[in-house]
Parts: sequence; structure tokens; C-alpha cells
Amino acid sequence: MKHMVEIRNLTKTYFTKRALNNINLNIEEGKVVGILGPNGSGKTTLIKILTGLLRQSKGEVLIDGHKVGTYTKSIVSYLPDRNFLYTWMTVKDAFMFYKDFYRDFDEGKFKELLDFMQLEMDMKIRTLSKGMHEKLNLALVLSRNAKLYVLDEPIAGVDPVARDQILDAIINNYNEKSSMLITTHLVRDMENIFDDVVFLKNGEIVLEGNAEVLREEKGKRIDEIYKEIFVV
Amino acid sequence: MGKLIKYEIRGNYKFIAGVLALVLILTTGMYAYMTNTKGGSPFEAMFVFLSFLVIFGTLLATFLYIVNSFRKELYEDRGYLTFTLPLTGNQILGAKLIVALIWFTTLGIVIALYHLIMLYIFTPYDISLSQIFETLMDIGLPFRDIIASIIFTFVNGTITLILIYFSMAISRVTFRNKKIGGLWFLIFLVLNALIAFSQVKVAQLLPYYLDISSFRIGRIDMFSYGFHIDVDSYGVMMTGNFGNILFNIASFIYSIGIGVLTFLGTGYLIEHKIDL
Repeated sequence: MKHMVEIRNLTKTYFTKRALNNINLNIEEGKVVGILGPNGSGKTTLIKILTGLLRQSKGEVLIDGHKVGTYTKSIVSYLPDRNFLYTWMTVKDAFMFYKDFYRDFDEGKFKELLDFMQLEMDMKIRTLSKGMHEKLNLALVLSRNAKLYVLDEPIAGVDPVARDQILDAIINNYNEKSSMLITTHLVRDMENIFDDVVFLKNGEIVLEGNAEVLREEKGKRIDEIYKEIFVV
Repeated sequence: MGKLIKYEIRGNYKFIAGVLALVLILTTGMYAYMTNTKGGSPFEAMFVFLSFLVIFGTLLATFLYIVNSFRKELYEDRGYLTFTLPLTGNQILGAKLIVALIWFTTLGIVIALYHLIMLYIFTPYDISLSQIFETLMDIGLPFRDIIASIIFTFVNGTITLILIYFSMAISRVTFRNKKIGGLWFLIFLVLNALIAFSQVKVAQLLPYYLDISSFRIGRIDMFSYGFHIDVDSYGVMMTGNFGNILFNIASFIYSIGIGVLTFLGTGYLIEHKIDL
């Protein structure tokens, strides 16, 4: 099966601190991969390198066979862990913005997702609550027919109702020809949607594999394995 | 790039329109007070003075607001959107630069035209527009010099803007800490001083000048104008006693070269070096 993402000997250092240490990872086409780890484990650093917001100190990253750059930005749909939309925008402006910049943006899908998330086109970005922000951002990101989706903590800090809506949106709108990378520390809520999981600890991969196989091998749920690894 | 320009303009136009409205209202008030009062009371003098201060302050704030639009990309969450767009560093920088130039040009032209209109309206003499135009033609305005000066100011302004953006990008790459992000200004001052110094050196090394009025090229001593040497910030423009404007050719080309290099350098930093 084709590798959508190939990561070889990836290291990222900030002065003396090593955020990622010699990571090797391949992500196959059509897989939903959970990058799991507590705060500070290197999850966000890893996906920032994949999206071109950070530069690696060593190693190589290929997405769809290309080094991170303008091409990979056109095929990666990224959901950051913050409110990244311009504050002067309305929901409609954000929709037009995505439509203008991304050829793979599906207008019909966005309108469906907007209805599902109970958001209106004339809402102003600066007046949205945390949960509404998260839902709008996700609607924009999932409305692209991208080759790789990168979602950074998609359900962190939102109420349980919004959390369910977000998870449903991810499951219902996932495209099987694409790959999806999701970072989270809320493992119990998300483990059912992962095909593969990668456990990151202090910038290193401590365990990785197929979620179902790991459950069988260990006789535990993924969130129990998570606790076993990270609770000292 | 055109699409990003569109969204940059949409994001700023309300602020610029507000600034223009404020400046034009205060300008109208100033002209009205200055022409309709005789002798002037302390209150009127205070109004004119404060209006002048507010206009100056507003334009300075606008300059910082426009220039800061690039810095916001480097330090605020909006950078997560801008820098993940499928655009090159040069395209992002180009869009920022073009929009800044559009705003500065718009502000400059509208404010200058408004002053002319105010002068015309509030002038105590009954004079028609055609008479004003005829008088200007009779005086024989040095249109070529005026146009050359406008082009020169535009080129210098563009280079200064690029240097500002370059300083911000260098500051962001070198110091990740937002608290010392203002260090870009210090970098800008040092770079500006170094460039001005090197431009003077280039002008001294290749002292060939272009006289805009006559389109003659030669060394300074070939022009018998009796110069008071009035070197501009980039050390390449001189004004003769008869109003002639001379450009040092080598230095002017050097300035444009610096502008192009710093533009490409900033684009490179955006694309390959800046960590958000």
C-alpha cells in the first residue's frame, strides 16, 4: 500500500531541548492514525513540521512523495489547535477564502457540514464560542477533498455535545482515499476511529501499531495502554 | 497572490476608511477655522494645533498599523492560516507589500487632493479652476522633475517597506520570544544606516549623474548648476540651485538591487526558516 507520509530520522531541537528525537514513521493511504501522548510529548511539533509551519533540524519528511512545500500545502488539510481564521471574517468570508485558495474545496459538503454543526453564514468569527470555532474550523478542513488531513487536538476544550458532533463529522466525512492524522490526549473519546496508533513520549515513539492488534495483544483498550505508558 | 491581496484589502479597508474620514473632517475644520476667523481666539488656535496633532498621530498610527500587518502573521495565530496556504514566501510577501503600497498611495493622493480642494474652497479670492490651471501652465511647472521625484519617492518608499519586512523576518528567525519582537526596529535602523553608507560609497565610486530636466548624463563637475548638495536618505539624489534634480545612476541601481535582494531574502525566510 502506498505511503502518504514518510518520516525518516526526524529530529527537532530548540536550543538544548530535543522536541523530536529520530522519529521514523510511515502513514499508509486510507488510514486514520492517532498520534497519542500527553502535553509536551512532541505531537504538535510533529504535525507542524508536516504542515510546513516548523522546520526539522535533521531528517526527511515526504508527503505524497514530495518534500514539505507549496505542493504539499495544497494537498494537506490542517486543523490547528487554535483559532487561526482572520478575526475580521464572517463564516461566509472564511468559506469564500477556502474556496478561493483550495481547488479541492467542496462547497456542497461545507454547506452540509455547516447545517450539521448548526452554524450560520452571517456569523462573525470574533463572536463565536470556543466550541463553535472548533466546529467551523473542522467544517472548513473536512470540506476539502485533501490527500492528507491533519487534525491537532480536534476535541480539546469543547463541551460533550460539540465533542460528539465533531467526532460524527470526522467519521461521516472521512474520505477513504485519503489519510488522516489526529493528535489527541483524549484517547478514550477518540480511540474507536483510529486504524493505527502511535504513542509519543518525550519526542520519541515508544509504541506504534494497528489499534485492533494492540488491543488483542495487550488485552486492553487503547486508553488503558495509554495510561500504562504515560502514568509512571 | 491576487487572492491574498483581495483578502488583505477586505481585512483593512474599514480601518483605512475610518482614518481617512477622521483626517478629512479635521482638515476641513482646520481650513474653516483658519480662513473664517480674524485674529483668532486661544480656543481656535488650540483647535488648529490639536487637529494637526491628531492628523499627524493618526497617520503615524496608520503607518504602524499597515506595517504591523506583516508582523501579525509572524507572531499571531493568523499565521497558521497564511503560512499553510499553497503560496510561496515571495507571493505572501508580495501581497503584503502591494496592499501596503495601495494604502499609502491612496492615503497620500486623497489627502493631497483634499488639501487642494480645501484651498480652492476657502481661498479668499474669486478664481476659477481654469484660471488656476492656466496660471500653473504659464509658470511652467517642471512636470518632468515632479514625475521623477514621485517615481523616486515611490521606489524609495517600496525599498524602505521591504527593509522593514526583512528586519521583522530576521528578528522572528533570530528571537522566537515575542517580548523582544520589537527588536526588528533596531535591526531596521542598523540595516538602513549600513545601506545608506554603502550607497554613498557607491555614489562616490561611480559619480555619474542623470539630470532629469535635460536627460544629460555626466559627472557633477560637468553640470554648472552650483549645487547645494542635498543628499537624500539613500545618498543618490541631489538638487541643483536651479531646481534641477540629479540622480546618481549607480547608487539608484544599487538601491533597487538591495530592494530585490531583501525581498527575495524575506521570501526565503518566510518559506524556509520561520518557525511558528
